[in-house]
Amino acid sequence: MRIFSGQRAFVLQRISALVLLAYLTATALRLAVGPEVTFVQWRTWIAQPLAASALLLGAAALFLHAWVGIRDVVLDYVQPLALRLAVMTVAAAGLLVLAAWTGFIVLTHAL
Amino acid sequence: MASIGHRISGVLLVCLLPFAVLALARSLDGEEAFSSLIQNLQSTFGRFVLALVAWASAHHLFAGIRHLFMDVGIGSSLAAGRASAYAVLVAAALVGAAALIA
Repeated sequence: MRIFSGQRAFVLQRISALVLLAYLTATALRLAVGPEVTFVQWRTWIAQPLAASALLLGAAALFLHAWVGIRDVVLDYVQPLALRLAVMTVAAAGLLVLAAWTGFIVLTHAL
Repeated sequence: MASIGHRISGVLLVCLLPFAVLALARSLDGEEAFSSLIQNLQSTFGRFVLALVAWASAHHLFAGIRHLFMDVGIGSSLAAGRASAYAVLVAAALVGAAALIA
């Protein structure tokens, strides 16, 4: 995936890191400090357009960050070309499926 | 150590991603699925997994913040780099331990 390589990957990794930092800090604070979340609250929260959009943005940052990170690690440690291609293909396919699944879950409950 | 830990925790978190998405799906499937998910997470095994996730997330986050500061030239001397590396290791271990106890 050429579009996620070189300097663009470097910048993308840092921007997504900052999004995740904000997102995870807010989530961790809410879970640690606030009252326990019930099913109804959770379902009501995710049905709000703003909450669903935030969740989708967080998920997009997470999956892009995961891809660039895995790609970096594979390029550094997996030298044989065929193996490298195999690992990258499995990782990319896996992340794409998970990202699509996440989008599907969020959208079915938000719409 | 903090740097290889950044990679190990990152790869570990990616490997746990399928379970996170599965948990997200289960949590919204209905009242029963939601409470059985919570119950599973509160079992001994679930608490161990959650503590592992807390440690890996904390380590990855702290080491990542350290990298971002170093990118802009803050704390990139050898002494400062060593000190912040130790700080990352200790802080992440504390978060993991806290998650195990809490």
